[in-house]
Amino acid sequence: MSSKTPKGPDNVTRNLVIGMVALVVAVGAIFSVISNRENTSAALPSSVSQEDGYGIVFNGDLTGVPVIDIWEDFQCPVCARFEQTNGDYIEKLIEEKKAKVVFHTLSFLGPESVLAANAAACASDENKFLGFHRAFYQNLPAENSGAVTADYLVALGQFAGITSDKFKSCVANLDYNDWVNNVAASGGEANVNSTPTVFVNGKEIRRATSGADLGDYFDPAAFARAVEGK
Amino acid sequence: MKKAQPWIGLLVRLGLGGVLLYAGYLKAFTPDKSMMAVRAYELLPIWLANAFGIILPWLEMGAGLLLIVGVAVRYAAIFGSVLMVAFIIAIAQAWARGLSIDCGCFGDGGAVDPSETKYLQSILRDIGFALLGFYLIRYPVTKFALEKNKSLQQKPTPGE
Repeated sequence: MSSKTPKGPDNVTRNLVIGMVALVVAVGAIFSVISNRENTSAALPSSVSQEDGYGIVFNGDLTGVPVIDIWEDFQCPVCARFEQTNGDYIEKLIEEKKAKVVFHTLSFLGPESVLAANAAACASDENKFLGFHRAFYQNLPAENSGAVTADYLVALGQFAGITSDKFKSCVANLDYNDWVNNVAASGGEANVNSTPTVFVNGKEIRRATSGADLGDYFDPAAFARAVEGK
Repeated sequence: MKKAQPWIGLLVRLGLGGVLLYAGYLKAFTPDKSMMAVRAYELLPIWLANAFGIILPWLEMGAGLLLIVGVAVRYAAIFGSVLMVAFIIAIAQAWARGLSIDCGCFGDGGAVDPSETKYLQSILRDIGFALLGFYLIRYPVTKFALEKNKSLQQKPTPGE
């Protein structure tokens, strides 16, 4: 401001308001940054590998096979479509040990995605991740409609064959909340800007370019070719 | 016209301030989405894009609040205008490079289907907001502003 600025009560109000707004902005931004940081002491589900971006890993011990990284959000309808298109094939690859598959459960679509990702991690501890994953997408509720609750997720778990009390408390207490946040942070570092995003051996598979073109994502034959490198 | 000017200024202030506050509010509490939206422009290094995505919504809200209550109007308007011009450049380059993204201006953002891009609408809208900012930079004295700065109400002196 110029030196002509009058000193007086008006100036005090001005500085007070500027100070308050600056404080709110600073506190909000700093809190946001800190709560989005990777938490290295977070509890991790059994099959998670920090080196694989905190993803849930299948066949992590295999070498010389294709590595498929799947970045998804449980509430994303296009991810459900991807699962319906290629889910059987991917599960077969896992069973027959023909690929290493890493599931990264992002949660940017809202709080219900966080609940679902946490429950998937709880299911992973019961060795039922794939069944839970499939059951969730088969019954995909409308986005952030309030349908995804702890009770709903426990019921889905039962549908996938999980009956333990540990699963129930893991879902209800959000045991893997910090891990969900770490997956989100690693999605940022991996420059994942939409879901599903699928990498085979670190390279993204081909996206559809127009309505008629399905790309590698929604054409099972094209997806299999991308995985098998043909 | 002279008499109407502070009233027009009030509307402009509330309009631009309201837009900034609302746009910031929609993004500030969904930082994952907001960071994704900035990354999708493929303009900045990833760490910087993530930093912008998380901090910018709070700055927008701050500038919006200042405009609405009418304090430091000129500075807030400068910030808002610079931001809008930056958005216009970012959207235009995304369009020119053939990216298919949502502008992420009011939440959402990230990569979208090529048929869902709205580059022209977004650019025209941001040009409108930038003009509101320019108006307030030129005429910062408005009705019902908390800050009644006499120095601003004097005629511009030569050399100001």
